[in-house]
Amino acid sequence: MENLELIVPEIFISIAIMFLLILGVFKKNSSILVYNLATISLILLLALIYNLSSISDTSLFNESYKIDKLSNFMKFLMIISGIFVMLTSSKYLQINKLNKIEYPVLVLSSILGMMVMISSNDLIVFYMGLELQSLSLYVLASFNRENLLSTESGLKYFVLSALSSGLLLYGCSLIYGFSETTNFNIILDNSNEIQYGLIFGVVFIIVGLAFKISAVPFHMWAPDVYQGSPTSVTILFAILPKIAALTVFIRFLYVPFINMIDQWQLIIVFLSIASMIFGAVAAIGQTNLKRLVAYSSIGHMGYALAGLATGTNQGIQSSITYMSIYLVMNLAFFSCLFMLRKNDDYYEKIEDLSGLSKNHPLLAFSFLIILFSLAGIPPLAGFFAKFYVFMSVIEESMYFLAVVGLLSTVIAAFYYLRIIKIIYFDPEKHKYETNHSVGLKITLILSTLFIIVYFIYPSGLTEIVSKINVI
Amino acid sequence: MIAHSIFFYFFSLIAIVSAIMVTASKNTVHSVFFLILDFISISCLFIMIGAEFLGMIMLIVYVGAVAVLFLFVVMMLNVAQQKNEWFSARESSSHIPIGLLVSLVIFVELIIVVGGWKYKPELLNSISLNISSELTNTQSLGNVIYTDFIHLFQLSGMILLVAMIGAIVLTFRHRSGLKRQSYFKQISREKSDGVEIVKVKKNEGVKIDV
Repeated sequence: MENLELIVPEIFISIAIMFLLILGVFKKNSSILVYNLATISLILLLALIYNLSSISDTSLFNESYKIDKLSNFMKFLMIISGIFVMLTSSKYLQINKLNKIEYPVLVLSSILGMMVMISSNDLIVFYMGLELQSLSLYVLASFNRENLLSTESGLKYFVLSALSSGLLLYGCSLIYGFSETTNFNIILDNSNEIQYGLIFGVVFIIVGLAFKISAVPFHMWAPDVYQGSPTSVTILFAILPKIAALTVFIRFLYVPFINMIDQWQLIIVFLSIASMIFGAVAAIGQTNLKRLVAYSSIGHMGYALAGLATGTNQGIQSSITYMSIYLVMNLAFFSCLFMLRKNDDYYEKIEDLSGLSKNHPLLAFSFLIILFSLAGIPPLAGFFAKFYVFMSVIEESMYFLAVVGLLSTVIAAFYYLRIIKIIYFDPEKHKYETNHSVGLKITLILSTLFIIVYFIYPSGLTEIVSKINVI
Repeated sequence: MIAHSIFFYFFSLIAIVSAIMVTASKNTVHSVFFLILDFISISCLFIMIGAEFLGMIMLIVYVGAVAVLFLFVVMMLNVAQQKNEWFSARESSSHIPIGLLVSLVIFVELIIVVGGWKYKPELLNSISLNISSELTNTQSLGNVIYTDFIHLFQLSGMILLVAMIGAIVLTFRHRSGLKRQSYFKQISREKSDGVEIVKVKKNEGVKIDV
C-alpha cells in the first residue's frame, strides 16, 4: 500500500498496546514500568503525529479514513491532553491501589479508538472507533471495583451508552438505506434532494453524538459517572472523548450533510442553548467538585456547539479553539483537585476548599486563575474562547443564541465565584500535603501559565486553527 | 412476489412480537426463550434476502452461543425465582409451556424457510440485493474483508482484545491464602529442604516453624 506512512501513528499505538500488555503479563510487578512506558509511547505518538502535519489532505482505504488538517490538529490536542492526564494521575493511582497493568493499556486503546473516530470519513469506521473508545471507557469507569460508586458509574455509563449506540446505529442504517453508501463524500453526492429518511438518520446520529459529549437533554449520565469513577478517569472523561466526539460532529455535519443545514441547524442550536442554561443553573446547588465539573463541562459543550451551529468555517474554528482552551482549563482544574490530598485521602467536596488561601497561597491562586478563566473573565484564556464563539455566532446574526450564551455565562459566573469566596474568605479547615509528583506540578504550572499569558499572543493558536477548513 | 411478502411479514411479525415479549415477560427464562425466537426469525429474514452467510452466522453466534450463555447465566443466578405474574401463577415450573411454544414456532419457521428453499427456490429469491449467483456470500465476503476492509477487520480485533482485557480486569480476583499445588515444586524437593536436624536442649521444647 502506497500511503501506509500516513497511518503509522495508529499502527504504532496498536503495537504499543499489545507490547505493553504482554510485558505486563509476563513481568511480575511491572505496573509502574508499564505506566511509564505508556506515557513515553504517547510522547512518541505525539512526535509521529507532528511529523504528519505538513502532509496535504489525503484519504485512505477507499476514502474511508481521512488524514487532513482537522484530524491532525485534533489528534495532536487529544494526545497532548492524554500525556498530561497520564502525568497527573500516576500518584493518584498508586495511592488508591489502582495501578494495575491494564489501566495504561485501556487508556491507550481508548486513545486509539478516538484517533480512528477523528479520522473517520465513513459511518462504519466511525462506529468502530466509537465502540473501541467507549468499551475501554466502560471498563475504566468501573476500574475501582471495590468502590460501590465506581461500579455503579461504570454500569450506568455502559447501559446508557449502549442505548445511545443503538440509536446511532439505527441512524446509520437509515442513512445507508437512503443514500446507498456509508462513505461521507458519496453520501454528499447521493443526497441532492432532501429525503425524510436521511433527516431521521441525521437526527438519530446527532442524538448519539450528543450523548457522547453529554449535551442536554442527553446529559443524565455525566454527573454520576464523573463523581463515581476514579478522579484519574474523570479527567479523561472530561477531555478526551469530547475532543473526539466534537470532531466527528464537525465532520459528520459539515461533510455529508452540509446541504441539509436548514434541517440540523435548529437541533444544534437547541442542544447548545439547553446545555448552556442547564450547565449554568444545575451546577449552583452542587457540593461535590467532580459533580460540579460535570455540570460545568455540560455548559462548556453548549458553547462549543454554538460555534458548530453557525454553519461556517469560522464557526468551526471557534469551536476548535474553544475545545483547545477548555482542555487546558480542565487539566489545570483537575491538577488542583489532585493536590487536595491528606494522609492518602483525596478530598473532593467544595467545603474542603474552605480557607485554602491561608495554608496554600499558591494553590489557591491557581484555583483563582482557573475559576476566573472558566467563568470567562478577561484577560484570561477562557474569555477569549467564549469571545471567538460569540463573534462567529453574531456574524451569522444568530442573536438569540448569543444573548442566551452571555446570560448563562453570567449565571455560571456565580458558582465559580462562590468557590473563590470559599477559598479566600471562609475559615481554614484542612492542611493538605505538599509533596506532589513532578508531573502533576509541571501540568499545573504549564496549564495555569497558558491561561494567564494567552492574551499576550492569542494569534499563535488562532493562526493554526484558521488553516482548518472543512467546507 | 406475494408469497415473498407473506413470508416477510410472517417472519417480521414474529420477530417484533418476540422482541416485545423479551422485555414484557416478567420471567427471565421466558425472556431468553423469546430472545432465541427473535434471533431465529431475524436469521430467517436474512436467508430470505439471499444473505445466507449472515443468517447462518446469526444462528451460530447469537442462538448457539449468546442465547445459550444467557440461559445459563439466568439459571445460575436464579433470577427466575421471582413470582410469575403474567402467566399462570402455579407453583410448579412454568418454563415448559413457554419453551414448548417457542420451539414450536421455531420449528414451523424452519419448515417454511427450508421447505421454500428446497422446493420453490424462485419464491424466496432475493428482490432487493443484486448478488451475483456465481459467488457465494462467504466467498464474496472473503474477497473484501482482507482487502478493502482490512482496517475495519483489524479494528474489530482490537475491540475484541479490549473486551477481553475488560472482562478480566473486572472479574479476576487474586485470592490470598489459597494454596495451589505445584508438581514441579513437589517433585524437585530435596531432603535438605524438608528435613532439619535440631539439637534439643533439656527441658526446652523445639519451636516448629509452621
